[in-house]
Amino acid sequence: MSRTTKWLVFMLILSAALLSGCGGQESGGEAAPIKVGAIFDLTGPTSDVGTPYAEGVKGFVEWKNANGGLAGRPIELISSDYGYKVDQAEQLYSQYVQEGVVAFMGWGTGDTEALRTKIAADKIPFMSASYSANLLDMEVAPYNFLVGTSYSDQAIIAIRWAMDDWASKGNSDKLNVVLIHHDSPFGQSPVPDAQAFAEANGVGFTDIAMPKGATDYVAELAQIQQFGAQYVIIQNVSSPAAVLLKDAKSQGFDAQFICLNWCADEILLNLAGDAAEGVMGTIPFTPPSSPVPGHEAPDAWLKQNGSSLAEKGLHYSQGWWTMAVMAHGIELVIQDGKEVTGENVRAALESIQDFDTGGITDPISFSPTSHRGSTSLRLFQVQGGKWTQASDYISADQ
Amino acid sequence: MDSGIFHTTYEKDMALRRTPAQKVRLVLLIAFLLVFPFLANRYYLTLANQVAIAVIGAVGLNILTGYTGQISLGQGGFMAVGAYSAGILTARLGMPWWGSTIAACFITALIGTFFGIPSLRLKGLYLAIATLAAQEIIIWVVTHWRALTGGVDALVVPDPVSFGIRINSDFNFYWVAWSIVGIVTIAAVNLFRTPYGRAFIAIRDQDIAASVMGVDLFKYKLLAFAISSFLVGLAGALTAHYRNIVTWERFTIDISVLYLAMIIIGGLGSITGSYLGATFITLLPAVLTNLGRALKSTFPAIDSVLPFIQQATFGLVIILFLIFEPEGLNKIWKNIKDYFRLWPFSY
Repeated sequence: MSRTTKWLVFMLILSAALLSGCGGQESGGEAAPIKVGAIFDLTGPTSDVGTPYAEGVKGFVEWKNANGGLAGRPIELISSDYGYKVDQAEQLYSQYVQEGVVAFMGWGTGDTEALRTKIAADKIPFMSASYSANLLDMEVAPYNFLVGTSYSDQAIIAIRWAMDDWASKGNSDKLNVVLIHHDSPFGQSPVPDAQAFAEANGVGFTDIAMPKGATDYVAELAQIQQFGAQYVIIQNVSSPAAVLLKDAKSQGFDAQFICLNWCADEILLNLAGDAAEGVMGTIPFTPPSSPVPGHEAPDAWLKQNGSSLAEKGLHYSQGWWTMAVMAHGIELVIQDGKEVTGENVRAALESIQDFDTGGITDPISFSPTSHRGSTSLRLFQVQGGKWTQASDYISADQ
Repeated sequence: MDSGIFHTTYEKDMALRRTPAQKVRLVLLIAFLLVFPFLANRYYLTLANQVAIAVIGAVGLNILTGYTGQISLGQGGFMAVGAYSAGILTARLGMPWWGSTIAACFITALIGTFFGIPSLRLKGLYLAIATLAAQEIIIWVVTHWRALTGGVDALVVPDPVSFGIRINSDFNFYWVAWSIVGIVTIAAVNLFRTPYGRAFIAIRDQDIAASVMGVDLFKYKLLAFAISSFLVGLAGALTAHYRNIVTWERFTIDISVLYLAMIIIGGLGSITGSYLGATFITLLPAVLTNLGRALKSTFPAIDSVLPFIQQATFGLVIILFLIFEPEGLNKIWKNIKDYFRLWPFSY
C-alpha cells in the first residue's frame, strides 16, 4: 500500500467516524428514557472544580436510575467534555438537541452566556454552575435557572455579614469593603449590585480587578490598604485566591477576607494552608465538613462505589443537587401525565416551592417571574483547616 | 495516457480550472453543497456553518501569513473587532444585519491595518509578538470599554431578518454562509492572479528582492493586513449574527493559535489548504467526541479517561500530519489526485 492510499484509508475512517455520530432516534413510550444533555469541563482551565461537579451530576443520575428513575422512567444523561471551548459547547449542544434532550446542564460562564439565546429559542431549560445575576433577567434568559445563590446575592450577603460583624465588635467608624475579583464576566458579575447595596447602606466600597496570570498581588493589597478596607470580598477561583491570602499573610495584612463560592472550597484549603485560617466563605452548597442530611445519599452512593464525599468535596454535592433540582422538575411533568418537553419542564420548575435539599442549600423555589432558586445562604469559616459553619441563613433581600 | 499537463495557449495557462477533472470536481463539490442541507440534520448544519465561518477566517489569515509571509497571532482579536462591530451596529443603531456585516469588515480592515504598521520594521517571531500584543490589546479594550461594548457582559444581537425570513436558523444560515464562502473563494483565488497578489507572494519569498523589483513594501504589507482583516472581520461578524450573542471568551488567544493551526495543517499559501485545514480543525473534535461515544458503549471502563484520550489524540493527529506531510492537507490532496491521474500505471 503506497503512502497515498494509506492517507486515503485514514481519511475514510475519519469520515466514517463522523457519520457514526448520526444515530437513529428512539421513539417515546411509557418507560422510555428521559434524555438530558450535559457538557462538562474535564480537561480545560476550570477542570479542577469541573471534574467533581461533573461526577456529582453523573452520580445523581446513576443513583436515581438505580432507585427507580423519574416516576419509573430512567434518565439518559448524554454528556461530554468541552474543555471550556465555546465552539465545542455549541457543537455538543446542537448535537444533543438534535438527539432530543429535554433539558441541558451547562458548566461555566463562557458556555452559559454563549448558549442562552439558543436555549431560549429552542425552549430547553438550562442549569449551570454559573451564578451570574444577568441570567436572572427573564427577558434575555427565560430558560436559565439558577440553583445556587447568585454572585450578586452572595456579595450582598457578605457585605451584610460584614456590617453585623463590624458593629458587633463595637466599632463605630466607617466600614469599608473591597471586592477584589477575577478580570472577566464571572469576576465582574457581582460588582454593580454589591456597589449599589454598599452605597445604600453607607458602606465604603470599591472594586479591584486581579490581573490574569499574576504571580503575586502585593500591589493590589497595597491598594486595599490605602482604601482602608476592613473586609475584603474575593470573587475568583481558588488558586489566585490562595496566592492573595498567602501574600496577605506574609505582609501581616489584618483585614477579614470573605470568599464567594468559587474560592470557598477544599482546594483553597490545600493551596493556601495556614493563610486560609479565619477566612469566611459564602457557600451556597453546604460543604461535607458540616454534615447535613443532604450529604447522606451522595455519600452512601460514593461509598458503595469505593469513594466518599469527604474525598470528592463540596463540588460533588453541588453537581448532585443541581441535577436533583432539574430531575425534580422533569419528574413533576411525568407525574402530571404531561408530555416531557422543554416547555413543560420549564413550567414544572417554575411551580417548585421550597424544594428540600436536605440542608445543602436553603429550600429552592422558582416562579414564572423569578428563576432565582435561593436568595440566602450560610457563611462558613476556615477553622483548623476545615470549613465550619459560622452563621445562620442570611438573606440577600430582607 | 497523459505524461503531464501541458498548455498550448496563454488562456489555458491562466485558467482557474485547467483540466476536465478539476471542472468535474468543482461541479461535484457545488452539487454536494447544494444538496447537503436537505439531507443533513441540525447537528450537521451547525457543523457546516462553523466550518463555513472557519473557512472565511482561515482564507483571511492565509492571505496574510501563507501568501504574504506576515505571521499573525491577532486573529482572535480581529475576529472580536468584527463581531463586536457588527453586534453593536445592529443592536444599538438598528442597522440591518447585512449592513452591519459590511461595515464590520471595513472597521476590522482599518484596525487590522493599524496593527499591521509594526510589520514594516518587524519580521518573523518579532512580528508574532507584535500581533500577540494586538490580540491582548483588543480583548482588553473590548472587556473594559463598557460604554461601547457592554464590558464583560455578553452583547445580545437581535435576530437577523431579511424579507421576513430569520437568517440565523441553521438551515437558512447555511445558504448565507456558504454563498459568502463562494464569493470569498472567487475573490481570493483571483487576488493571486493580479499584480497585488503577486506582490504579496514576492514579499513573502524575499522582501528585499521584492523591494528592488519595485514592490512598495509599505503599501503592500499594509494592504495584505487590510485584506486579511477584512475577511477575518467578516468571519467575526457572521459569528455574531449566527449565534445572536457576542462574548469575548470566544475570541481568546486560543482562537488565534487554532487558526494558525488550520492554515499550517491545511497548507500555507493555498486557498484549498485553507478549506481543508478549517474543515479538519473544526470537525476533528466532533469526530473524536462521536468516536469516544461509540467506544464508550463498547468499553464502558474508559469513560473516565476518555476526555484525556481525546485531547491527546487531537494533538497527536496534528503532529502526525505535520511529520508525514509538512506541506499540509493540500499536499496530501495533490498526492491523491496525482496518484489517481496516473492510476494504475504510476511510474
